[in-house]
Amino acid sequence: MSIWIPLAAALAVGLPALATAWAQSRIGPAGAAALAEKPELTTTVIIMVAIPETMVVLGFVVAVLIMLRGGA
Amino acid sequence: MILAMSRVRILGPRPKLAEVLGALQDLGLIHLAPPPETSVLTPVLTSPREERLRLRLGRLLEDAAVAGRLLEVPPATPAAKTPLPLPRTVRLIVRARREGERLVARIESLEEEQALLARYEAVFQAFEPLLRSQPRWASGRAYHVVLRPGQKEMVARLRSELGALLGDAFEIRDHPLPADETALLILVPAHAAPRVEQWLAAGRVSEVSLPAGFAGKSLAEAMPAMQERRRQLPAELAATRRARAEAARRYGPLLRQGTGQLRDLLARLEARDLSRVTAHAFVIEGWLPSDSRARVARTLERDFGAEVVLEEVAQDRWTAETAPVVLRNPRLFRPFELLVSLVPLPRYGSIDPTPFVAVFFPMFFGLMLGDIGYAALLFGLAYLLRRRSAGEGWRRSVAEILIACACFSGIFGALFGEFFGDLGRRAFGLHALWFDREEAIVPFLILAVSLGAVHMLLGLVIGAVSAFAGHRRQAIGRGLAAVMLVLVILALLASVEVVPRGLLTPLTVGILVIFPIMVVVEGVVAPVEFLSTLGKVLSYSRIMALGTASVMLAVVANEMSGAFGSVIVGVIFALLFHLVNFALGVMSPAIHALRLHYVEFFGNFYSPGGVAYRPFGHGTPPPSRAT
Repeated sequence: MSIWIPLAAALAVGLPALATAWAQSRIGPAGAAALAEKPELTTTVIIMVAIPETMVVLGFVVAVLIMLRGGA
Repeated sequence: MILAMSRVRILGPRPKLAEVLGALQDLGLIHLAPPPETSVLTPVLTSPREERLRLRLGRLLEDAAVAGRLLEVPPATPAAKTPLPLPRTVRLIVRARREGERLVARIESLEEEQALLARYEAVFQAFEPLLRSQPRWASGRAYHVVLRPGQKEMVARLRSELGALLGDAFEIRDHPLPADETALLILVPAHAAPRVEQWLAAGRVSEVSLPAGFAGKSLAEAMPAMQERRRQLPAELAATRRARAEAARRYGPLLRQGTGQLRDLLARLEARDLSRVTAHAFVIEGWLPSDSRARVARTLERDFGAEVVLEEVAQDRWTAETAPVVLRNPRLFRPFELLVSLVPLPRYGSIDPTPFVAVFFPMFFGLMLGDIGYAALLFGLAYLLRRRSAGEGWRRSVAEILIACACFSGIFGALFGEFFGDLGRRAFGLHALWFDREEAIVPFLILAVSLGAVHMLLGLVIGAVSAFAGHRRQAIGRGLAAVMLVLVILALLASVEVVPRGLLTPLTVGILVIFPIMVVVEGVVAPVEFLSTLGKVLSYSRIMALGTASVMLAVVANEMSGAFGSVIVGVIFALLFHLVNFALGVMSPAIHALRLHYVEFFGNFYSPGGVAYRPFGHGTPPPSRAT
């Protein structure tokens, strides 16, 4: 198997993971600050924090498909 | 489902208003709302005496809350059975607050004293050996100081200065303290005291100050007394805490009873504000569940005869936005109302999503966890939680939701042949009844996305049905989006020959026909919204991603048992890793299944903004907060 296939899979999951981490690092503190003033926003904040995870989830799916289609 | 509500109007002679409000409070069914403004109906005027009473009640309730907090009255304290006369309730609350304040002030002062004396412990220990030589200088002056880190060289300087001044008629003793500090005892004749004080001031060194109770004494005199006091304090503190517990037992039931009575009285006064009167009659309006209307009418007729009348306000005279919302679902679905209550209540007249959440939430959770071993563990924990939670509280709901999730996880675990990952396969020859998630990643992905398509389709259909009565255009738009979604999915399936390839052309034609209609009906946002719907369907692939991650982590945990040379160490690591995976496997699927509901599913039909149903009754919030 070419080196490019695992590399592409790693990039497919790694880059969205970094993007998700960056987004969550911004949402998390803002959410915590909002919760300190309005605890009733708990559900909204949990959802807000979970929203960027879509990127890494889809990245993971793409990475798996790259590996499978690449003959791993 | 959202319970059908009736808006009712109660009419009667004005002098009977207070009695009728009392009867309605006993019934605890009507959610009061002010009648529409007219020139005939006026609010009930409040006399200055009533205004004073209301203010007094507010203050007394605050006093009772403070007393309960100070005395730590346990919430489970049973309320006293016999109603108390109002003056006695007032006296009781005032006395309970005073007692609570006295005892808490005493406890705080003892705790402070204890903490202060504890801080002197290091000083006691440092000066004790130094003080033994003090009696020799009974006629002199003693200084007890603590030098900060870096000030130790001052000792040599002082020693040489005093030596030059007094010869050998002085003594300086030092003792090291933790954190590089130094305890210093300086003994000098009385005439040399000003020189030492000058030196201390110049070096910014102050004497050890004694607690307020021991002021005026020398350290040598104060220390034994302080140590004795320190020995006495725990017993004194324990006795005061016992006195507080005793006061809580004595006042608790009566305090709860009194608070309840005052709240009821305040609620009746506030309910009167929501009533309207003419010169001779009163009008009360409010909401109640339609199936309770007959019961309220019967009670009023029994208590007041024909003098008081209950009539239903015609539905065309009120709007759905103003009606309070009561969710009532079958017993099996009821715990899932907790998940719906985490978002704002649905508007009256819209659709209660609880039954759909009750079916799909545990299903998604089970698909992600999907392991017989973890399911059994989760079931055990949920069962314990259920046994420990009495009544219908949120803990019981959480336990029952977890039980449903555990059941689905067990079912999917059997279908995927997983028992703590691949342990079942290795140890008992367990086989997947459907497919193996470890290997069949693409089928699992197709399953997740297909479920997403079904879920989204269901959401669009519910959205179309619920919007049909009020917003016809929106309903048609959602219906068309649902049809488009079906056509796109079928076209995709036809392109990979899962359905006959010959259908691809008619399906594409269908898409091309419906697309412009969608744009005409919903405007240019329609294509954007449809693309967002397709994106939401793909978002369900997280079920596969989290499920695969869960099984892979379990497999890694099993591999650990043979990776450390020693079987015992390996098994311990494997168990710890399984524990971590179990915690992740419960948290993550719960959050993502919730997100799939709140963001993807609810987005198609959910219309928030409902008013919570808060009937006017005993022990309920005042009606002013309910409207």
